[in-house]
Amino acid sequence: MPAEGIELLVMTAGALAFAVVFVRPAVRTRTMVSGAGGLVGAAAIVAAPTLDLVVFVLLALGVLHASVTGGRSFAVRLRPPLLAAAMISIALVLIRVQGPDVLDRFAAVGIGAALAAAVGLLPYIHLFDPDEDVAASPFAWLAFIGPVLAAVLVARAQGLLSADAWTALGGILIGLGVLNMVWGTVAAWFCGEVAEAWRYSFIADWGLVLCGFGLTILDGSRGAFLALFGIVLCRLPLYLVYRSAPVDRGTAERPINLVVAAALAGSAPFAGFAARILLLRGATQLYWPLALVLAIAMLLWLPSSLRLGRSVGLPRGRRAVGVALVLALNVAAGLYPLPILSAAHL
Amino acid sequence: MLAAIAGLVAWLGASLIVLADGRRGLALGMVLAATGLAVLGWMSAGPFAAAAIAAGGLGAAAGRLRAGPPGWQVMPPGSTPRLLLCVATGLVALWIAFTITTGSGAGLRFTALAALALAGARLLWSSDPPVQLTAVGVLALAAAMASAIGASSPDLWPYAAAAFVAASVAWLPARTPSAG
Repeated sequence: MPAEGIELLVMTAGALAFAVVFVRPAVRTRTMVSGAGGLVGAAAIVAAPTLDLVVFVLLALGVLHASVTGGRSFAVRLRPPLLAAAMISIALVLIRVQGPDVLDRFAAVGIGAALAAAVGLLPYIHLFDPDEDVAASPFAWLAFIGPVLAAVLVARAQGLLSADAWTALGGILIGLGVLNMVWGTVAAWFCGEVAEAWRYSFIADWGLVLCGFGLTILDGSRGAFLALFGIVLCRLPLYLVYRSAPVDRGTAERPINLVVAAALAGSAPFAGFAARILLLRGATQLYWPLALVLAIAMLLWLPSSLRLGRSVGLPRGRRAVGVALVLALNVAAGLYPLPILSAAHL
Repeated sequence: MLAAIAGLVAWLGASLIVLADGRRGLALGMVLAATGLAVLGWMSAGPFAAAAIAAGGLGAAAGRLRAGPPGWQVMPPGSTPRLLLCVATGLVALWIAFTITTGSGAGLRFTALAALALAGARLLWSSDPPVQLTAVGVLALAAAMASAIGASSPDLWPYAAAAFVAASVAWLPARTPSAG
């Protein structure tokens, strides 16, 4: 079993525990039931010994997630994960047949596209309904099942693809990563709905993850893993706090909002900062102009993060404890990320 | 020869699922696709694989007969693009399986590629949950066949998983959107 997948599974369980403890009591049971289902699915993805079995878990999860009551139609929610399953299967056929090397490269395209489709990244961005329950929304794929799936998919694909095709997949992931970074940060900055801005901010973070996976060197994998940590144990819990905040959140910027914005923007000393440093170091080793592009793209996180930080409002009571917990965890991971990386064998 | 006939039957079944909107048409498509895939499963992975594929396909077809749009509704008005898709997918899969790729098992390669592509296309084309869930069933069975390509000693778990997914999703009640 991939060590990154197991550790991400533990983090996902932590995020679910946070959701159960800190979300509004009215949806707590529903969150617990849906989250437990998702967690079992994520565990099955990690435990599956082959990519073939991951496809079946993805099929089952896609159908079950589409069956959860929500604002979007069944068909709309069913399509992306099942399209991803179809693309992985076709990629596996192309990997296994005897033929020209170009088939392996097409398989790499299929794996990259399947990852984007399952998680809900450009160019397969999922439809979004701001009022939909979190468990039924695209966040289930973006922040709950997606990180585990991505880690397992990339780890398994590395063992299946030829060296040439693996390099091609790296290039595809870097291209998709930069696209998602720029699109996500700019859209989170300018879009009208705050909930939609949160969704785009997840997509931007996924851009970092894809770039990290695509670098295909240790620093890139480490950066990607810390970026996934940030998605599961920073952005998702803070989004849940935003969702559970009173409707009248106000527009005043208090110190706590600036600290939350700093955590979301990946400033020092939070985990996002360590992820960015590792990614920049990896990109410099591989091809320095890429590091320059990444550094410029990383600046785009700031305006949207200030906006999202403000949207959390002034947390009180249980929500304040939750925010403090998230910030403390991310500071600890940012200052000393080695135990997290070691546990993932990185 | 048998592999070629089985591949043709599976392609016909998957095409019927693309062309039909009614529960009877979808169920017949599922039965045809499962029959072709089961024969290929027997040839590549033995009787357990074939039995699993056949059971999954029959379960899925029975589930579809129970619920979904009534009648056959094969090729309703406006389905020319779907027909073209079926023919084009078959031709491209044939070209890849017999010309681009080499080695034994061309029938299996053709069937896996054609069924996966047609099931994926049907998922994107339709917004009707019963139709989509039938496509999921074919997708699962075809994905199991993909695991047999190039395998010297095929793993039987994918067939069992495919049968379970195909048979169970067809019995799911179709959900309509509501406020979350």
